[in-house]
Amino acid sequence: MIKIPPYLKKGDTIGITCPAGYMAAEKVQTCVEALQQWGYKVIAGNTVGGKSTTYFSGTDGERLTELQQMLDNENIAAILCGRGGYGMGRIVEQIDFKKFKRHPKWIIGFSDITILHTHIHTHYGISTLHAPMAAAFNEEGYKNEYVQSLKKTLAGKRTKYTCNAYELNRKGKASGTLIGGNLSLLAHVTGTSSDIKTKGKILFIEEVGEYLYSADRMLYQLKRSGKLDKLAGLIIGGFTEMKDTKRPFGKTIYEIIADVVKTYNYPVCMGFPVGHGKENYALKVGAVYHLNVTPKKVMLEETR
Amino acid sequence: MNRKHFLSSLFTTGISVKALAATLHNPDPSIRIPQHLKPGDAVAITAPAGHITVEELQPAIKQIESWGLKIRLGDTIGKKDFSFGGTDAERAADFQRMLDDPAVKAIMCARGGYGSIRIIDQLNFSKFLIKPKWIIGFSDITVMHCHIGSNYKVATIHSKMCNSFPEDWSKAEPLQRDTILSIKDALTGVKMKYNALPHEKNRHGIIEGTLTGGNLKIIENLAGSKSEIKTAGKILFVEDTGEYLYSIDRMFWNLQRTGKLSQLKALIIGGFRIKPDDPGEEFGRTLYDIVWEKVKTYNYPVCFDFPVGHQRNNYALKCGVLHRLSVTANGVELLEV
Repeated sequence: MIKIPPYLKKGDTIGITCPAGYMAAEKVQTCVEALQQWGYKVIAGNTVGGKSTTYFSGTDGERLTELQQMLDNENIAAILCGRGGYGMGRIVEQIDFKKFKRHPKWIIGFSDITILHTHIHTHYGISTLHAPMAAAFNEEGYKNEYVQSLKKTLAGKRTKYTCNAYELNRKGKASGTLIGGNLSLLAHVTGTSSDIKTKGKILFIEEVGEYLYSADRMLYQLKRSGKLDKLAGLIIGGFTEMKDTKRPFGKTIYEIIADVVKTYNYPVCMGFPVGHGKENYALKVGAVYHLNVTPKKVMLEETR
Repeated sequence: MNRKHFLSSLFTTGISVKALAATLHNPDPSIRIPQHLKPGDAVAITAPAGHITVEELQPAIKQIESWGLKIRLGDTIGKKDFSFGGTDAERAADFQRMLDDPAVKAIMCARGGYGSIRIIDQLNFSKFLIKPKWIIGFSDITVMHCHIGSNYKVATIHSKMCNSFPEDWSKAEPLQRDTILSIKDALTGVKMKYNALPHEKNRHGIIEGTLTGGNLKIIENLAGSKSEIKTAGKILFVEDTGEYLYSIDRMFWNLQRTGKLSQLKALIIGGFRIKPDDPGEEFGRTLYDIVWEKVKTYNYPVCFDFPVGHQRNNYALKCGVLHRLSVTANGVELLEV
C-alpha cells in the first residue's frame, strides 16, 4: 500500500534545497514569499543561491548533505526542490531514507527530480509530488492554477483536473497508481535501482528541448524494457521546445507516441497540463487516480 | 588446425559448446566468428537507419569491388521515408533478405543516423545463426552489435560505413585509407592490431578479454531491453558525438548504475565530440574527470583517445572477439588474439 505523507498545516515548515543545478537566490524569492503567504514557514538551504560557481548548486557532498538533513529534520514537513537541471542521479544512491521511511514527508519537484520520484516509489512506496518548482512562482506565476494546484495538494485537498481532448487521444477509462515524470530520466533510470514498474499503472511523461528522433528512441526504450505494454493508461504531458533534424522526422510528437502505443488498448491522452511549460499541475506520484478520456474532454481525478 | 573451421565443424556435428571450454583458452568459447571473405564473395549494403542515395554509395562500391568482392545493393538504398532509408517494414525486410541470403557473406550498413531500434525486434536471426555472416557498422548500428552479441554470440565489425569512404581514393589522406582498409583486413581475416599514444590519464595494465562496445547513447538506450549489452569480464569501448558533458556524465552514471562498469576487464574511451556547454551552464568537469570518477574504485586498465568514434580516426574493431589490451607508459596496444 502506498504511504501518503501527512498534509501540511498552517505553521508547518517547507525546506527548499537545490539537489541538482544552480539557482540564483533572487529567483527563489517570490516562491519563498508565496509559501509564507500560504501560511508556511520556509527554510532555504545553503544550496539555494549559494556560493557555488559551477553548474551544480554545490558539490555532490554539499547537495547530498543538505537534502539528507532536510529528510531527517522532523521539523520540516515538506521539501521543495528549487529547480532541476542535472545532478539528482549523482547523489540518489547515497541518500539514507531510514528516517524518511518512518516519517514520510512531501518531496516536491519535477524534471531531473524524476529520479527521486521513481527511486522513492520503487523502494519505499511513499507518495511524492510532481509539481511546479521555485521558478514557476515568478512573474506572478504563483497566482496561476498550476502553482495553486500545488498549494491545494499540500493542504490535502483532493484534486480533479480536466483538459481538452486531442484528436489522437484514445478514449477510455482507467484507474491505477500514477507514476511518471520526464521521459529522458525515465529512460535513463531503466535498468538501475531507481527504475520503475509500470504494470497496471497510469504513466505520465513529459519532455523539453529534445529532438523528435531522440524522443522516439526513448519511447522505444520504454517499450522494449516492458514499460508500455501493461499500462492502465498513458498521459502525455507537455513536449515543449522540441527540435527536429535537418532531414525532418516527418511526424509530430503526438503521432510518434500514438504510433508507439498503437498495438495496446488502454486510454491515451495527449497534451495534458504537466511539463516544462506553464501548464504543470501538481500530481501525486504513487497515489491512485481515475483517468477518463472522452471525445471532448480528459479528466484526471484522485480517488481516495 | 584452423580454429574457425574446427569450431564450425563442431557446431554442425552438434557437439556441446561447453565441451569446448576446456580445450580452448577462450573466456567465452561460445562466441562464433563468421567466415572471413574470399575474392568473389558478396557484400550486401543496406540502410537499416538513415536514408542514403545510390550516388553517395559510389565511393564505397568502387573501393569494395577493388578488394575483389561483389556488391549487392539492398532495396533500401535510395529509399526515403523522411529521415529513414524506407519505412520500418521496408528496412526490416531488406535487412532480413540479406541475413537470409546464403550468397551474402557480409552486410555493411550504409550509414547510421537513427532507426535500427525500430526494426531490431522484427528481424529473424535463425538463418543467420545457421551460417553467421559479418554485420558491419557503428553509431546507431550499435543496436545490432549489442543485440547480436548478447543474444546470439556472433562476432560483428564496428567500423566506418559507406558514407565515410573517400570520394577520390588517390587523393585520400593516409589515415582515411588506413581506416577504410582496416575494414578489409577485418573482413578477410587479418589479425587486428592497433596502437594509441600514451595518455597521462590512462590506467596501466595488460589484460585479455572479449571486446564489446559502441555508441554510449545507444548502449544507455538498450538498458532494460533484450538487446542490452553484457560487459562482465569484457573489454568495453565507448564513443559518442554531439552530447553535452552533463549528458555524458549521466550516461556514464547509467553504465555504473546498471552494473556495466564493475566487472570489466578494461575500459577503452574512444572519441567524444563534445557539445560545448551553454553559457552559464558550464559543467566544470572534463571527460577524463567524468570517467575517472566512475572507475576510480576499480583496478582494470583504462585508456583514453583510442582511435574509434565519429571521427576520421575510426578503425575497425571486432566485437565479440578476444583481444589483448596493453596500456603502458609507452602507449596503448590492442591486439586480436
